[in-house]
Amino acid sequence: MELSDWDLVQKCQSGDMASFQELVSRYHQKVYMVVLGLLHNRDDALEVAQETFFRAYRKIRSFEGGSSFYTWIYRIAVNLAIDQQRRQKRNPLEFRETMDGVLEAQEETARDPFADVHDRELRENLARAINELTPEHKAVIMLRTIEGLSYKEIGEILGCSEGTVMSRLHYARKKLQDKLSAFL
Amino acid sequence: MRLLMNPRNRLRLFSLALILTAGLVGAAEKNPQFVQVTIRTILAENKTDDFDPKLKGMERQLKPLKYRSYRLLKAEDQNVPSQGTRSFEIPGGRSLTVAPQEFQDNRIALKVRLTEREKPVIDTTVKIPNKGNFILGGPPHDGGVLVLSISATAQ
Amino acid sequence: MRDCESIRESIGRWLDGELDTAESESIRAHLASCEECRKAQQQLESIDQILKTTLLAEAQQIEFLPFWRGVQVRIAQKTPWHEQALEGLRATFTLSRAAWLVPAGIAVVLAILSLDSYIPGLREGRNSFASVESIDAYGRNVALLRENESKTTVIWLYEDQEEENATADEPAKSAPAF
Repeated sequence: MELSDWDLVQKCQSGDMASFQELVSRYHQKVYMVVLGLLHNRDDALEVAQETFFRAYRKIRSFEGGSSFYTWIYRIAVNLAIDQQRRQKRNPLEFRETMDGVLEAQEETARDPFADVHDRELRENLARAINELTPEHKAVIMLRTIEGLSYKEIGEILGCSEGTVMSRLHYARKKLQDKLSAFL
Repeated sequence: MRLLMNPRNRLRLFSLALILTAGLVGAAEKNPQFVQVTIRTILAENKTDDFDPKLKGMERQLKPLKYRSYRLLKAEDQNVPSQGTRSFEIPGGRSLTVAPQEFQDNRIALKVRLTEREKPVIDTTVKIPNKGNFILGGPPHDGGVLVLSISATAQ
Repeated sequence: MRDCESIRESIGRWLDGELDTAESESIRAHLASCEECRKAQQQLESIDQILKTTLLAEAQQIEFLPFWRGVQVRIAQKTPWHEQALEGLRATFTLSRAAWLVPAGIAVVLAILSLDSYIPGLREGRNSFASVESIDAYGRNVALLRENESKTTVIWLYEDQEEENATADEPAKSAPAF
């Protein structure tokens, strides 16, 4: 029978490294996805994702199960990614090229039905539009879109109220719609 | 029972229980309510070469006194309350009064007075190991001398 | 009847499942009959779709074992040596084991400390002699003897000289031969 996240956490707290490895295996892709959505750079996203689990390992004994493990891990990940964004000194052109690289590469394995030029333009503008959002607005979009988390869960992760999550989401979506309406 | 399922709680509860038990035992050791005092009155003399079988176990203690014979005249036990006194009748119009003083490090302090015809002959305070004894000897009696084995056990 | 602007404000929350049943029903009913609002809904859904598929495709390329090795390297490099030693100890002495080991250890220590209560003579040679704290023989001669072999303390009271003279014909010694 598969152990729950909390069972694994408790075993980690007793020093069981294999249990921590299992938790990493469950969440490493999800964490990477969120962080990539925030940073739009593969290398940075990988760094931050691994750092997230390192930090979780160091702090695992202080985790008391008040929230779910994934809420806790996303909180670490998003905070690290937001810190990274604030340190990031990339200009918009370089950023867009990096995100383009991300969007182009996925064509090789994409299950995305869009393959025409129109779609490429949409992707380029999407990358630009996301980049123009603040880290906090990007974070709500990523957590909602990628993970389908509730406003309550997003609020727990970002340390803000459900009302704030709602208004940030609404703002972020409106911005994206405005910038992309010609392509959608 | 649910409390014991958590290892941290188990650790805390058992350690606390052990420490409390140790404390209680320790406290009990420190303050015995009674001390059982046993006085063996032995006549040591040189008229014969007999060793009373009833004194088996005391040969090593008595042999150094170098008398030829040892005979148990009487053995008496009394439970003496801590800080109390009890008297033991000793042959020859004598009396031995014992007063336990304190119990520490598994040793009992005893105040002992030997009187003869109601006059004090000797006062001494001796600390003996719990369940141990000391010898008080010398008063003459019946052609020999009295040897008193004074032992005490904390209750 | 809500206007389109109000409906479009709520489409995001409706898609997120954050509206109550009544509100949800009202949005659904409006979308069924309003093309403009339906278009807004589709735009939001497209944005979500593209983001999700793009990032999901990326994430699926991240293999676990190289990722885990990266985490392990960080743990090894960034954890100070004394913390690593502590981690090693913690792994050996887990909380479950400690929950039994610590009370057992306390019990063993207590048992050792109180061993002499159960094995008399254990402290022989150290504390087995009776010690004479005070002595008052009221002017009589008294001798104190410690006999090593039997660990016995002997207080010997010598007879008063006058008394000795009075009973001079008695043959017995009044003093031991030590």
